[in-house]
Amino acid sequence: MTNQQITKLAISQTVFLLALFFNSPLIADETLAGHRDFFQQHCSTCHAGANPKGDFDLKTLSANFSDKQVRVQWLTVLDQLQSGQMPPEDKTRPPSNQLKAVIDWISQGAAKAEAEHRVTQGRVVMRRLNRAEYANTVRDLLGVEVDLADLLSHDTSVSGFDNSAEALHTSSYLMRSYLDAADRVLDEAIANESKPWQIKKRFDIKQEGTVKSTGSVYRHIDDGVAIFASWESANIRVTMWNFRSPFRGKYRFRISAYAYQSQGKPVNFHVTAGTLKEVTEERILDYYSVPADTPTVIEFTEQLEPENRIRIIADDLPALPPMVEKIGADKYTGPGLVVQWVDAEGPLLESWPPPSHKAIFGELNQEKMPTAKYPDWREVVSEQPLVDAQRILREFAGRAFRRPVTDAEIQPFLTRVTNRMESGYTFEQAVRVGLKAVLVSPSFLFLQEKGELPRLDDFALASRLSYFLWSSMPDAALYELASENKLHEPEVLRQQVERLLQDPKSKAFNTQFTGQWLSLRAIDATLPDRTLYPEYDDSLKMAMLKETTLFFDEVLTQDLPLTHFVASDFTFLNERLARHYGIPNVQGTEMRRVALPAESHRGGVLTMGSVLKVTANGTTTSPVIRGAWVLERILGTPPAKPPPDIGAIEPDIRGATTIREQLAKHRQVESCSSCHREIDPPGFALESFDVVGGWRENYRSLANDGERDSQGRRVRPGPAVDPADVLPDGRRFQNIDDYKKLILEDKDQLTRNLTEKLLAYATGAAATPLDRSQIDAIVDRVSEQGHGFRSLIHEIVQSPLFQTK
Amino acid sequence: MTLPRRTFLRSAGISLALPWLEALATDPQRPAAGATPPPRRMVCICTPLGLHPDHFFPKEIGKGYALSPYLEMLKDYRDDMTVISGLEHAGMGSSFAHQASASFLTGVPGAGRPGFRNAISLDQFAAEQLGARTRFPSLVLSGEGAGGLSWTRTGALIPADNSPSKVFAQLFLEGETVDVQDQMRRLEDGRSILDDVSAQAKTLRSNLGSEDRDKLDEYITSVRELEVRMVNDQSWARTPKPKVTVPQPQDIANTADLIGRTNLLFDLTHLALQTDSTRLITIMLAGSTYAPPIPGVSLGHHDLSHHGKDPAKLEQLKIVEIETMKTVSRLLGKLKQSQEDGDSLLDRTTVFLGSNLGDGSSHSTRNLPVLLAGGGFRHGQHLPFDPNNPPPLCNLFVSMLQRIGLETDQFGTSTGTLTGLEIMSG
Repeated sequence: MTNQQITKLAISQTVFLLALFFNSPLIADETLAGHRDFFQQHCSTCHAGANPKGDFDLKTLSANFSDKQVRVQWLTVLDQLQSGQMPPEDKTRPPSNQLKAVIDWISQGAAKAEAEHRVTQGRVVMRRLNRAEYANTVRDLLGVEVDLADLLSHDTSVSGFDNSAEALHTSSYLMRSYLDAADRVLDEAIANESKPWQIKKRFDIKQEGTVKSTGSVYRHIDDGVAIFASWESANIRVTMWNFRSPFRGKYRFRISAYAYQSQGKPVNFHVTAGTLKEVTEERILDYYSVPADTPTVIEFTEQLEPENRIRIIADDLPALPPMVEKIGADKYTGPGLVVQWVDAEGPLLESWPPPSHKAIFGELNQEKMPTAKYPDWREVVSEQPLVDAQRILREFAGRAFRRPVTDAEIQPFLTRVTNRMESGYTFEQAVRVGLKAVLVSPSFLFLQEKGELPRLDDFALASRLSYFLWSSMPDAALYELASENKLHEPEVLRQQVERLLQDPKSKAFNTQFTGQWLSLRAIDATLPDRTLYPEYDDSLKMAMLKETTLFFDEVLTQDLPLTHFVASDFTFLNERLARHYGIPNVQGTEMRRVALPAESHRGGVLTMGSVLKVTANGTTTSPVIRGAWVLERILGTPPAKPPPDIGAIEPDIRGATTIREQLAKHRQVESCSSCHREIDPPGFALESFDVVGGWRENYRSLANDGERDSQGRRVRPGPAVDPADVLPDGRRFQNIDDYKKLILEDKDQLTRNLTEKLLAYATGAAATPLDRSQIDAIVDRVSEQGHGFRSLIHEIVQSPLFQTK
Repeated sequence: MTLPRRTFLRSAGISLALPWLEALATDPQRPAAGATPPPRRMVCICTPLGLHPDHFFPKEIGKGYALSPYLEMLKDYRDDMTVISGLEHAGMGSSFAHQASASFLTGVPGAGRPGFRNAISLDQFAAEQLGARTRFPSLVLSGEGAGGLSWTRTGALIPADNSPSKVFAQLFLEGETVDVQDQMRRLEDGRSILDDVSAQAKTLRSNLGSEDRDKLDEYITSVRELEVRMVNDQSWARTPKPKVTVPQPQDIANTADLIGRTNLLFDLTHLALQTDSTRLITIMLAGSTYAPPIPGVSLGHHDLSHHGKDPAKLEQLKIVEIETMKTVSRLLGKLKQSQEDGDSLLDRTTVFLGSNLGDGSSHSTRNLPVLLAGGGFRHGQHLPFDPNNPPPLCNLFVSMLQRIGLETDQFGTSTGTLTGLEIMSG
């Protein structure tokens, strides 16, 4: 085909596409009349016809802004026009007055429609509790901790968070799970048997079969058992088979241990719990360190399901079992861990019946009602069943619904209870039916964001606040302030935010928010290649996760500028993580705040092991994936999604070509370049970090058989990393340190991004352009306060966006 | 004021047809044998990481095609199956190729995109009409997490069962007498509770805006559906469960053990169909990040699917996918060997195997691998369609629905039935 023919073909295609475009509903819409030429000239060539580019087809778009789907699509168009990404650079630019007119037409049309919508509907649709919120709510409502993970499945994540009101659906399957969950939590809350017997016992490690003195790597000494090797896959571990939790509940453990023959140095170990029957039924509780020669007691309390055990595993000992066996455990002189004894006590009970029972039934008496199956069965009895049932239900429903309830509201439940008693149920069994109904009622499962639209009333505000900062229901203090109609007062609200943040329950905010904003939940989504990255293990992983959550907590607690998330002069480390980062003088398993040396290349979340791990696939890094992650999560300027059917870049670990060489071709193609000049630079800057977050000058390649590096790994240095690049605006950087400085120049954008993320998380609905002016107002105020992160939380709560439905 | 609930649902703006609910409520018992046409069943299986097209599709079309490396594993069933190429669901894209599994059995365009709302899946559509005939209207299984292939009419994901041992217990193991009484009581209580909360929801509803009402209507519909399911459960609770001679399977804890876990699910599928415990099963196979424990495979399955034509990776991927095809062969074999009223179970069971990915490496969602076996279709060919202008995959779904006895000519984005796919006479 000659060039001329190609041109002709192109023209005929354009004409064809235009013809299609004219038939679209959009063109037929009268309101568009003034802008028809604009779309015709600048958009329809690519965005109409059989294969519209970017999956965006003008033909499907109408000008009916009051349709939410239509509005969302128009707002995407608006973004493209405003940012200048469309029409593409190589195409004719529309005259600026025309462009402005179209931008105004879209933004005004959308804003008008959305404002109308908000008057009647509010900003957020009725929101169901998600899985974590449900679990925390029953915990606080009933005072029980029950594992419900097998009953309630994960919720869908939209706009980055799984508490998005729109995406939280209900099905008959979910309703059945709620019925089952209600049974499980009520069974746990209500005491139907006599006080369970409690274990309170010191377990002598010498009595544990797993550490027989005749076996390989253990030596029985006067005051305990010395363990000389760390090798879990060879079952070198102390499993406390003599202990098992008879009931669900909290147990207190005290482990006495010390480092042995360790030349004065401490020795580390970790503790796991679970049924220990399968690898999947064993979870790590924590890592500990004990000093040399001085018996030291490690104490912790843990919630256990029935039939759980614990296990102690020595870490980082230099010897492998064959080495100790060869010398003999009795003659071995290397370092070891001595475990002396383990105290176990539990289940820990405040009282019997437990507070959860009293919270429902108050001081009503119990009587024995033995059955064949449960000879010890006892139940609450009442002398005035109707009066008591009404009181119990009313009190319970008021807390469960997180607002006052009327007699009329609980009447159906009460009628049911009465009816059950008449049909032969005991008082307690009948009341249980009522309690269960409350727990599957829409008033419990959904947040009732009531009030005189659009403002939330104080009860709804109390819930929004507690679900934001605790992922749980309001406590008595919040409830009381709502009853007094004081909560919405700015100063009261400020005090409550402080109080909620200081409460241990605010850990939920840290976990849920960082888990999603920084993708920490995905830490186990890939397993780094063991040959290439043998240094990655659970101990490193735990330290990485702790670093991020402790750092987040510190920035929040100290109200530090949120620019710390990009660059900071401190972080949290223990010995293991410090070694991974190449930072000297940090000893022991405990995480602590560490001032970072000037040349560490660390500080801020971008260079944390956790984030670098979740943005890599376990074998290789991709500047595209990491770059897009930075734009989306940190800068708040998410890139457009790649066109359909684009080929993935193929990783190459053989060391022949670098990813930069592969991507270079990519950036020479104009259609790729328009996005990739935004995406790639942060990705390149992060190329200095491998898939587990280690610093690298060279890519790590697989060595030939038999070849080992100085640390005994089957790896060799591959091509050199080149982290330098240039931002779309022409600013150059040499490495990640430079890059961080460049993005710190626009602090307001970093603040805006976090504001949008927090707003989506706090309200259950993503920010829309209609929120823009209020978001800008928040950003301005936070900017005046030095970009403090805690100030941002306060400003969000004080904002009308937070206080309206 | 007491209105029949159905009237209420209608007045509440819920225009959902709930035919199976009607059916369940009026006739929970299985129809007497012989009174109805032979039972027709359907099994839908998705391999979430695709099947490498070069190793799956035959080069030739029609009857005389040469078996591809993967189809070679199914050679014994050549005349019981049809390979279909070129099909796709419209409105998917490579950037949401994995999320497209949400639409695999629904055909709703735009999976993974903001504002996406799913719709009823093929099996649940069928269960609305056929579900009442068996103890379980459908089984929703998964080889990995709780994410399966089945969706409700309101677009909610049905949590998938991933524990074969638990499902086996539900299907075949009787509790103690006390437990059965207890269960009956719980069902009775549950139904009363649902009655009460749906009355409460009705009161709440009046004060809400239209979008909040939609949410509450979804709740009300869910409650209503569960009530009817419980009626069904109650009637079945009095019927003894079928006895099987095989022992309860032990779950495999290793989520990466694709083959072991798939075999357990397929064995369960065969037992459930053979005992007529259900007639509709969906199975999402595992697609783990980790390396499946198969000799010769050292890299993670997901990593392998992104092979980039690297011969070493392709070789490992081939090992994994050949083993997967062997599990399919095993399932087809069991169905074919089982007889029911003189027919093989396979002839009465449509087995649909496919993927949301046409090519795992490029994340293409076009030219999906599709295999249709059993069910009484006229099989034995490679039925090709032009991948550049294919009919919707939903057309095949309409053919499948008709085959299991539903009088419908539309599902999802369908434009008709799939041309070239014929039903055996008789």
